[in-house]
Amino acid sequence: MNARRVQALVRRVVEEIRRDRPSLALLFIAPIILTGLVTFILRDGSAPVVHAVIVGAAGAPTPLVGEIEGGLRDGGATVTEAPDETTARASIADGTASVAIVLPTDLLASGSRTITLITDGLDPSGEAAQLAVVQKGLLAALTSAAGTTIPAITHATVYGTPTTDQITNFAPAIVGFFAYFFVYLLTGVSFLRERTGGTLERLMATPVRRGEIVAGYTLGFGLFATVQVALLMTWVLGSVRIPAIGPMPAFSVGLGVAIAGSPLMAFLVVLLLALGAVSLGIFLSTFARTELQIIQFIPLVLAPQFLLSGVLFPVSSLPGIIQPLAPFLPLTYAIDGLRQVFIRGADLSVGALQLDLAVLAVIALFFAVIASLTIRRDVV
Amino acid sequence: MARVTASPSTVEPSIRARGLVKTFGPIRAVADISFDLVPGRIFGLLGPNGSGKTTLIRLLTGMTRPTAGHAEVLGAIMPDRAILSRIGYMTQSDGIYTALTVAENVRFFAATYGIRDQAAILDVLRIVDLSDRQRTIASTLSGGQRRRLSLACALVHRPGVLFLDEPTVGIDPLLRVEFWAHFRRLAEAGATIVVSSHVMDEADRCDELLFVRAGQVIARGSGGELRQRAGTQDLEQAFLSFAGTVATP
Repeated sequence: MNARRVQALVRRVVEEIRRDRPSLALLFIAPIILTGLVTFILRDGSAPVVHAVIVGAAGAPTPLVGEIEGGLRDGGATVTEAPDETTARASIADGTASVAIVLPTDLLASGSRTITLITDGLDPSGEAAQLAVVQKGLLAALTSAAGTTIPAITHATVYGTPTTDQITNFAPAIVGFFAYFFVYLLTGVSFLRERTGGTLERLMATPVRRGEIVAGYTLGFGLFATVQVALLMTWVLGSVRIPAIGPMPAFSVGLGVAIAGSPLMAFLVVLLLALGAVSLGIFLSTFARTELQIIQFIPLVLAPQFLLSGVLFPVSSLPGIIQPLAPFLPLTYAIDGLRQVFIRGADLSVGALQLDLAVLAVIALFFAVIASLTIRRDVV
Repeated sequence: MARVTASPSTVEPSIRARGLVKTFGPIRAVADISFDLVPGRIFGLLGPNGSGKTTLIRLLTGMTRPTAGHAEVLGAIMPDRAILSRIGYMTQSDGIYTALTVAENVRFFAATYGIRDQAAILDVLRIVDLSDRQRTIASTLSGGQRRRLSLACALVHRPGVLFLDEPTVGIDPLLRVEFWAHFRRLAEAGATIVVSSHVMDEADRCDELLFVRAGQVIARGSGGELRQRAGTQDLEQAFLSFAGTVATP
């Protein structure tokens, strides 16, 4: 491996992409628009239909329960009652109810009391909207009940752990997936051009080694991936309040998603994933003859990963028959790693994150070797 | 077998082909070719499209492995990565990065040979008459200008052996004359130059011609010799005359 030749390759890759405006837009603007859209949809979606089941209604004052139920029905919800929490959880599990409201026995007593809201936890975005409806109804009923302090409302789920802002659960997956997707697409197409445009043949007539080409591409695109991920992270995590200027109302820039751990740690996870995507792009370009075919690999290679790696559905909720596929997908580790950092606040001392990072590094290396083996001097 | 003419036997050949065969499935693109080419001369591979010229050059440059036989360049059996720094190869497709500027293309290929010297880059751009186009993006160049850029990329490391696959396609007559003058200077400085073409009127600029047909060298010699042997004043007629003596496979 000759450092100068690799440097020449990196420089060339950077010069090429720098001039390619659509590619720059794909890398830097598309993820920002898409994450913005997802956040907007998750936070401000239309009100859903709630099927509430109330636990402990018998122990609470009838007028108050009546008021809660009335408030919920006004919000379009159906309301039933259950004798205990176990029954309520069972009806959530079988789908007859969507939110259980567990009232404490001493609802009107002073002091700290807690109302627990239970959802099934499998559809974080839908449930967040439902919880908002239920909380609104509860608060309206409780504040009108004179002489009481409002009880705390907590959220529990039948499956998984609840989060307050559903985008907190989604943001890591989205950041990971977009970085992976766009870097793959760009490398795949660039390398295909190299193959079909005759420049790979020309390059093979120089003393450049195959490994050097993969290294050059990885570093060159890695550079763009770094900028992309940094930009995306700033957009997703940051939130700058712009004060009202003249007739323009105040607004915030950035999604302001909460992160429990270090943004740098999250950055590291995405970068390792993106480096793997470079090699994957080179590797898959072997099997493509046209740029359209690179696109055709998306439903074949990327879409299944999107469904199976925990972006939308937790890996643990996948049907048993396809669950064993998840450990073979790089995206699974990246999304788990990102969730570890975002939600759990994991740092390098956490074993689960160590495993995710190690697996991502090994996958990136593995694909780099595979990719360099697919670049043969005997190209035609 | 190929008849070596007009090449001093004392000079060590820089290119050797020994029983070269390359098949693609049922097609024999190169069917048993052997020859020696000596430094300081320009060799023309002449033949119609699909006669095997490009495959022969790809075998000689080590871009593809022979099915049988072997090719030797500067004493190394091809493919040999180390010897590639002494070989210049101008491919039939331009093989340039169209998103990069003229200077960036040349600088990139120079760097792959470990050359960072700006003077070498300016020098080669002057030879192909692209000095005033350094900052032009290659995709906006004309076809002939792209050929010139492609040639610049093949010359920038001053190779001792030069393979040019249809170098003058799309190049205007005036520049073509300059190209050939430059090839001649390189040959006089000791380079071995192999030029493929299907244009017979360029053939007379070569020291020796190799008529290629159906993957075989059907005749070899200077333009004059070949005309004489065929008994015609026209190289095209000469080619047809030699082609007629070989059974079509």
